Order: sequence, then C-alpha cells, then structure tokens
Amino acid sequence: MSANNEPDIFMSWGSSSLELYVKEDKVLDLTPYMTDEWLDRFVPASLAIGMFDGKYYGLPVTSMNTAVIYYRTDLFEKYGLSVPKTYSELLNVVDVLKANNIIPFSLANKTRWTGSMYYVYLVDRIGGPEAFNNALNRTGAFNDEPFIRAGEIIQELVRKGAFPQGVNGMDEDTGQSRALLYADRAAMYLMGTWANGTFPSENPEMNEKIDFFPFPAIDGGKGDPKNLIGTPGDNYYSVSKKCANPELAVEFLKYLTDAKMAKKLVAAGNIPPFTGAEDDIKDAKIRKTNELLNQAPHVQLWYDQALPLELAEVHLNTTQALFGLQITPEEAANQMEATAVEVFGK
Amino acid sequence: MPLTIHKSSYRTGVKNVKAFIHSRRFVIFLFLLPAAFFCILYLVAPIPISAYYSFFDWRGINQGRFIGWENWKRLINDRVFWLSVKNNFKLVFFSLITQIPIGLVLAALLSSRLKGSRIFKVIFFIPMLISSVAVAFLWRYMYDPYFGLINSFFRLIGLERFALDWLGDPAVAFYSVVVATCWQYIPLYMIIFMAGITSIPEELYEAAKIDGATSLQSFWRITIPLLWPTIVNAAVLVIVGSLKYFALIFALTGGGPNHASEVMATYMYVKAFTEMRMGYGSTISFSLFTIAFAVSVFFLYITNLRKKSRW
Repeated sequence: MSANNEPDIFMSWGSSSLELYVKEDKVLDLTPYMTDEWLDRFVPASLAIGMFDGKYYGLPVTSMNTAVIYYRTDLFEKYGLSVPKTYSELLNVVDVLKANNIIPFSLANKTRWTGSMYYVYLVDRIGGPEAFNNALNRTGAFNDEPFIRAGEIIQELVRKGAFPQGVNGMDEDTGQSRALLYADRAAMYLMGTWANGTFPSENPEMNEKIDFFPFPAIDGGKGDPKNLIGTPGDNYYSVSKKCANPELAVEFLKYLTDAKMAKKLVAAGNIPPFTGAEDDIKDAKIRKTNELLNQAPHVQLWYDQALPLELAEVHLNTTQALFGLQITPEEAANQMEATAVEVFGK
Repeated sequence: MPLTIHKSSYRTGVKNVKAFIHSRRFVIFLFLLPAAFFCILYLVAPIPISAYYSFFDWRGINQGRFIGWENWKRLINDRVFWLSVKNNFKLVFFSLITQIPIGLVLAALLSSRLKGSRIFKVIFFIPMLISSVAVAFLWRYMYDPYFGLINSFFRLIGLERFALDWLGDPAVAFYSVVVATCWQYIPLYMIIFMAGITSIPEELYEAAKIDGATSLQSFWRITIPLLWPTIVNAAVLVIVGSLKYFALIFALTGGGPNHASEVMATYMYVKAFTEMRMGYGSTISFSLFTIAFAVSVFFLYITNLRKKSRW
C-alpha cells in the first residue's frame, strides 16, 4: 500500500483503519456498483462500518461478532448461582465465587483489547451509545461522567479481586485466559463470540459446560441492556483505485458475498453479515448469538477500531493502567480527552 | 607517426588495466562490492533518510507534509519517550553488570580443564540459538502467575510472598524482561570471551603457577588484563545492543503495562506501524541512532584514555 503497489482487492477492519486509505485516495468508491439487489444481501448495520461520507468503500464479508460473558455452568450450579441481570447481582456472583476461591473473571490483559471490552460495555450501559458518539463528534468529551464511572467500576471489580492476579501480564493470544477457565480456576470470561468456535476446537468436553449471558445492566444506567458491543462485519473488502479491471473485482466481491458463500461461512462457525443466512445455523451457541445480534438496538464498534489510531492506542493503554490500578479513572479520562483535543483539533 | 604513439600508449594502457585488475586492491574491492552495496542500501542509507522523514507529517502512504521541527518539539515534550530512554539506560546498566561478568566467569570455567566442560559449552550456548520470539514464549509460560514454573516453585517451598505478578506488575515487569534478555545474551559474550582466552599463551599461566599464583590470582592478573580489549569490545556490543533492543521486550510485554517496560525501539514501532505516524516514528528512530552513537563513541573514548594513562 505504501509502496504504491497495492493489490486489486484488499481487506481491512473498516472504520478508522480503512478511513486512512480512503483519505489518501487509494480506495475505489463502490457506490455506482451497488445495485439494490446486492445491497439487500447485507445486514444494514454491517454496511455502515465500510461507509464514509455516504459512499460505500468496504463491504463486510466474514462474520458478525459481539462480546458476551461466557461462564462455567457447572461451577454456577455448584455454588447455587444464577445468571446476573444487573451489576449488583454480578457483584454478588463475584463475592460468592471469591469466597470459594474461584477467580470470578478470567482475563488476559497484556493484549489490552480484552480489558477494553469491559470498558466499552460499561460506558454503553451507563451513558448509552450517545456518550461515545458525542465524545467522538466533539459535542461531548472523553472525560464525561460515563467514562469516569466506567473506570471506577473496573477498579471496584479489581479491588474486589474479580480478575486474576497479574492480569496485565497475561496474553490472550497464547490462551492464558482460557487455561484458567478450563482448569476450574476461573468461572467467567468476557470475550468476542469467535470463542464459540474456539471452545469446541480447543476443549470439546469443556465446551459442553460453557454457556454465555449478555453483559448485565448497570443500575440507573441510560444504556439499553440489549445493546451489544462488537463488529457487525469483521473483515471488510475493498477495491483499490489503481485496479485495472474494477468490473471484474466487483464481480469477485459479488461472488464472495453470495448465498453459497454464506452457507460456507455458517459451516465454518461464523455468522455472515448477510441476510437470510441464519436458518442454516445449527450450533446452539451461535444461534443464541445471532438472536442477541438481531434484538440489539445498537452495536457499539470496539473502541480500538472506532477511534482514530493514536486515540485507540491511548484508550488501550489507559484502560490497561486502570486494571493495574496505575492511574485513577479521572486521570485516564483526562488523558483520553487531552489526546482527543490534539487529534481532532478541538 | 601519431599512430604508433597512440598504439604504444594504448598498449601500456592495456598493461596498466591488466595490472590493475590483477592487483590485490582491486580483487578485495570486487569481493567487498556486493556486501558493501547491500550494507549501504539497507543499513547506512536509511539513517539520513529517517532524519529527512523526521521533518514530515507522514502516514506512510503517498506524500508527507513538511512540518519543520514540529516532530522534534513534540519529542522533547513526550513523557513516554523520555521514560523509554530511561528504561534503555537501565537496560544498558543491568546488561553490563550481568552479561559481561557472568559471561566472563562461564568462559573462564569452561576454558579450564573441568570435567564435562564440552557438554556445558553446548548447553550454555542453546539460548543463543533459539529465536527471540520462542524465548519470549518460554519465559511467558515460566512467568505465568498461576501455572508458571517460577510461581509454582515459590509456592512449593512455602515462599508464597515471592510469587509475584512478573509481567503484569508495572514495578516488576521491566526487571522480568531484563532477566530474560540477559539469559538470552550471556552465551554470546561467553563465546566471545572463550575465543579471547584461547589466544592467551599457556606459558603465562604456567609461569604464574611456578611462581606460586593461585588460579584466582592468575584470573585477575593474567586473564583480565590480556582480555581487556575483548571486554571493551564486548561492552560496546552490550551498550549498543541494549539501546536498540526490541524483539524480546516486544514479544513479552509489548512495552506495557502502560509503558512500564517501554524502550525506544518498541515505542518507535508503535508510533510508526500501529499508529501509522511514520514521521514521528522516524524522529524517534533517528534519536535512537544519535543516542546509541554518542554513547558508544563516549565509551570508546574513555576506555582509550584509560589505556593511554596506563602505559
């Protein structure tokens, strides 16, 4: 891409990573090729992440993912716990598990986006989607009350011992979080729904004992507890401006998003961002995920993908520091706001 | 007669060219050419180029925007950059006081005719043969707070309070990384010192022995002074290596938690390739070069001074 040698079709995560290339005039505007028939194939929310200034630049292909709290049903049963619907119920679950020497949440936060999921959910539950959207379009700020409150709740959970010791040193990519879950040391795990496919392949026996519930409501919060965080399309495919045969490239994209592809994606354990694919889903957890996604009034894109790259880096670092009790929620929020002022110029 | 003159001068010309082609200098030049070409292209040229890019706001795509000294002003006020410089110098310090002495002691032990020294030579050299990312994996599993070898060991012998959060605690993470780095690099210096020790004439030790010197005395009075130039060179390698160190830190902590183990190279990587700010990344990398260059020149200068004053 930098060497002016871009491929005809390339892949990104949409949003800010794709926007960078759109701004540098590297990406073909797909709008003229978008027939109504083709547009109808996509779940509308998933198209938005590949759109800039009302034009289509990237099309979702791979999977819709959200984050849910996976839990060990056998451990919950053993300690007489039920699925928490609110934060106060969740605190009760944390207390009971702690009393029985079980780590409530398994989390490997060297990876940083893993801890970020808690923060994104908390801000959404406390302030609703507006909190983030306003901060991003600069009618609000990243040190508004929901952001500080989210930091406070994370630190409250840390102080209660809800997370493993050494949480910021453990690596999600080497499975250090799931090891705790499999070894009966931890009971819950907030993770993207790609884990629906990870559990059966890593540990089919354990998979039977794992179920999930949506992130609980925060008492007095503005956000709808049906809201989710995640990505409605995962990989976005774009055509580069230098492509000699845009018609052929578009033809290939159509092929990548047709009904046959949808069936293949479902067979691989994905929820394709296409309409009419859900009937083929067999796996119970994936069906349940799909239902959650269909009922969600709003799906907040992961902050590290929704934010401009510099700001995403500050978000990931300050959130990690919150988990390590290295900074106060106010300091974290103020650092975010200061960087936002620098990036947006206001 | 101009033609003959021309002819003869042509002949001597050919002779000269022939002599030149067969001269030692030309052959050396010819054989060095390919290596020099790639060295200049990939190692030397990027230095001035990165200095040039440091004056641009550049995303790595298309053309950058010239912004004068903006990146440098930003760097001077960048708290995280200075933290990473501090960490780099801490790494230099700890590497110097561990890698060189331990490497030296191991080299001395293995060079003496200890039983089984050949086997230990091979065993001690293994860390050097493993790629940094694999070393990082190894240490990551050893540092695991719940299932790791280190914490399990401390719990087993009842020293629960030493079972730390090795990579997650910002006060400890940097030192955990230093330990892994030293483990990986001690064998390199061990081999360098062993090569140095072999070149020390055996007669000196024999003479010392006859004069009644203990082996410790001959280590201090013979091995160390004769090995001194090698030690200085090794120290320069340690200093420069520690200042530009990247791989193991990046793989173990990524410079985290929240910059606690950040060094200049990891910070440069994040700025240039994660945040796609190539201009600012170049500013960091050129400062890295300047600092490493200045420190090694300074070090060589003071060690030379010492040598002169001794003679």
